[in-house]
Amino acid sequence: MSAPDRDAPNSRTLASSSDENAAVLEEVCSVRVGESLFGVPIRHIYEIVGGTRPRPVPLAPGFIGGLVHYRGDVLTTVDLRHLLGLPPSAGAPDFLVMSGQGGNFGLLVDAVGEVLTVSASDYEPNPSILDERSRVLLAGAYKLNGNLLVMLDPERLDPLRLEAAQAQQPQGKPANQ
Amino acid sequence: MDDLTREFLIESQEGLDRMERCLTELEQSPQDAMLLAEIFRSVHTIKGATGFLGFGRLEKLAHSGENLLGALRDGKLPADARIITVLLKLLDALRGILKAIETEAGEGAGDDSKLIAQLDRLQAPALAAARQPAHALAGARRKHKAQPVPSAPAPDSAAASASEPSPPPVAFSSAAGQALPAQADAAPPHTPSQGTAESTLRVDVALLNRMMNLVGELVLARNQVLQATAADARMTALSRRLDMVTADLREAVMKARLQPVSYIFSKIPRAVRDLSQELGRRVRLEMEGQETELDKSLLEAVKDPLTHAVRNALDHGIEPPAEREAAGKNPEGTLRLRALQEGSYVLIEVTDDGAGIAVEKVRSRAIERGLLTPDRAALLSERELLRLLFLPGFSTAASVTRVSGRGVGMDVVHTNVERIGGKVEIESRPGHGTTLRLRIPLTLAIVPALIVRSLDQSFALPQAALSELVHIPHGQAATAIRWMQNAPLYRLRGKLLPLVFLDRLLAPGCAPAPASDRDRFIAVLNADGRRFGLVVDGLADPEEIVVKPLSPVLKGIGLYSGATVLGNADLALILDPGSIALKAGLALGAEEDAAPADEDAGSAAKLEYLLVETSGRRAAVPLDEVLRIEQLPLSRIEIVGRRPVLNLGSQLLPLVDSGGILSSAPAGSHAPVIVVVCRKGNRQIGMVVSQVLDAAAGGRLSLAGAGIPAGGITLLDERVTAVVGFGSVPALAFTGEASLDWNPVAEVLP
Repeated sequence: MSAPDRDAPNSRTLASSSDENAAVLEEVCSVRVGESLFGVPIRHIYEIVGGTRPRPVPLAPGFIGGLVHYRGDVLTTVDLRHLLGLPPSAGAPDFLVMSGQGGNFGLLVDAVGEVLTVSASDYEPNPSILDERSRVLLAGAYKLNGNLLVMLDPERLDPLRLEAAQAQQPQGKPANQ
Repeated sequence: MDDLTREFLIESQEGLDRMERCLTELEQSPQDAMLLAEIFRSVHTIKGATGFLGFGRLEKLAHSGENLLGALRDGKLPADARIITVLLKLLDALRGILKAIETEAGEGAGDDSKLIAQLDRLQAPALAAARQPAHALAGARRKHKAQPVPSAPAPDSAAASASEPSPPPVAFSSAAGQALPAQADAAPPHTPSQGTAESTLRVDVALLNRMMNLVGELVLARNQVLQATAADARMTALSRRLDMVTADLREAVMKARLQPVSYIFSKIPRAVRDLSQELGRRVRLEMEGQETELDKSLLEAVKDPLTHAVRNALDHGIEPPAEREAAGKNPEGTLRLRALQEGSYVLIEVTDDGAGIAVEKVRSRAIERGLLTPDRAALLSERELLRLLFLPGFSTAASVTRVSGRGVGMDVVHTNVERIGGKVEIESRPGHGTTLRLRIPLTLAIVPALIVRSLDQSFALPQAALSELVHIPHGQAATAIRWMQNAPLYRLRGKLLPLVFLDRLLAPGCAPAPASDRDRFIAVLNADGRRFGLVVDGLADPEEIVVKPLSPVLKGIGLYSGATVLGNADLALILDPGSIALKAGLALGAEEDAAPADEDAGSAAKLEYLLVETSGRRAAVPLDEVLRIEQLPLSRIEIVGRRPVLNLGSQLLPLVDSGGILSSAPAGSHAPVIVVVCRKGNRQIGMVVSQVLDAAAGGRLSLAGAGIPAGGITLLDERVTAVVGFGSVPALAFTGEASLDWNPVAEVLP
């Protein structure tokens, strides 16, 4: 839990160590990308849609996973695999519909898992040894039984934010699309 | 902003719009008690709500205005031009404050004391002459109006209901506000909208957009249902019904987005009044076709160009009264606004009876600016010269007419209208006036487009930019496409057409595939005056697509204007021909600007035609009427009544078989038939032909000696050819024979 600019309810639920209220629970949707398990707070998700084939957009930035059809709208998706530096997958990914600054967007993941209820007392902020790229995307982790649920920060997955971040760091690798 | 304030803003803005309309009408009939009552009510409503919501500045201003208006309404003061001017100032000030409340959530820091003093000063004579008897009706109103205490409306005086103390703003709905004047006065209502007020309600545009989306979704679901149930006879009837209901629903939702043109026309009287005073003109404004409807978003887009056009007409079109009189014209100029629907377009015309545009001045100016060489300029017709006015930078301070540059902001008009897929035309007769015609598509939401394939993906190409398609069979690409260094060119009817390869543009890294191993298609595009060919791998069907906005991240790429969901549920990006031209470096420098104009010179005098052969006769169809050419088996053609029709999925296309090709073919045959699908106004007609020969430019022919153009024939490839007219083809009524408008000289003269 590094950034102080996170919205109020979030920082309250995720309030770490000072467990004045140890029983604060949060529902988290688990998603699988490559070999890893990630969590997205469920209140950020409008809908989960399975098995799509996003339509690629030529010349789009690399983190754009293409377009998907969602309830009569065309949503732009963000490719989590690309953000995490993984090679493109061959399967039909699932996507989460989330709200961003420029309207709704989709987050492409390999598969959506179950919804977990986690307790704030199990939360740990990002460790300092994380590399720069991960630190931007990740928002700490919950300790589960024998496993770690790494949290994603939905605000930072907004395509507009990602674009702005990319524009700030032109030394970042060129869009390999 | 809370709901109460938002509601207040909407009400007040509507009230002020009404007030503006009434004020300009008031100038014509200063004694009209109803107009005064209406204006009073608008200001009063605002004042009533301000105390409630705590807008002090607004309240003070509205209060002063109300006092003056009260005196006017009670007949204590005549509504002269001076007062109307100050009232218009009041209107602007009130609008300014409302705007500030809307954008800054505060009233803004402004000083109204001068305006308030002015308002107070103007009503002074009324106060002095306080006890003067006013005429009966106004007097009755004053009695009720003068008491701020709620009084039960007297049963005998309907006017009282108009002067009830204002209820809380929320309850003051527009229906009530507009219905009141009708009861308040026995005189016939002045604003036509009053009668309809009660049967309308206000709907959020966002909700309409959502409905539009859902209907789009329904259309897709329908398509899939239709496909899935095609085999099942019992389901077919049901899915047909679903089909019809969906189509009707879609049309209804689209209609809901339409608004009458009066929405923007209503701002014009005020603008004309202010401008004509400022410029010392006398102008009579005529407006026609205000009930014509247009999509809400398009109306917004047309607002500015229309204001520009009106400004131009007053500033540079209509002459000062003295000059008009000297020219033997009525000193009062006429400005005419006209809106009408024509096919899938709405035309908005701004006509003045002013001095017109001095074409020769435009010509010399263009040479002076280096846009044209004298030789070339001499060749241009008046129409092409007038088009030069739309070039950015041509206008401004150039002294084209006496005053200053006719064409101030003309390029703005042009750009804005083109952006929404419209066109601007200008016509002028020196000494008699100018007409500016804005041609606006009916709706933005649905665009006819051609689906093309490249990189194994579908892309939509708006039909508006597409002028023709050229097929390059595999193996011929190497010879058909010429390279000038790195620039690919195609020779189209003797002219070199720059080419853009869509796949190379979209995937610059890819190794260029050997060009000649497969069929290629060139879509010849016209974008902002740039003409180029876009090379694609394949063509799919034309489709009416519903445009969906793209995320700003993808808009930034600059090649796509949106995305759409195709009938088969695939997604397609909509290509933006203008941006493609820019991206491919096809932008024309200032020096080359004259080139497209020059090319237009050729095409204006020489229309392009599609040359076809029907049973041995050559005939020509104007190319801009041709939608597409279909080749299909004869068995697809059915006979309804006694007329052949083609079943194109959801629509029936009436066919014209003037060459007797269908009747001479053996029944039930699968032999291919070529059908040229043409558009005439709102209708589509298919013409059965034996062969499509070529596309060619044709010149006008005139009858020897008479000097008048010959109708229905043209000169193509040095041969006189009949032009097919579809004017007399009957619609699909099942009576009467199909008759083609063949000219008697239809046979090709050798």
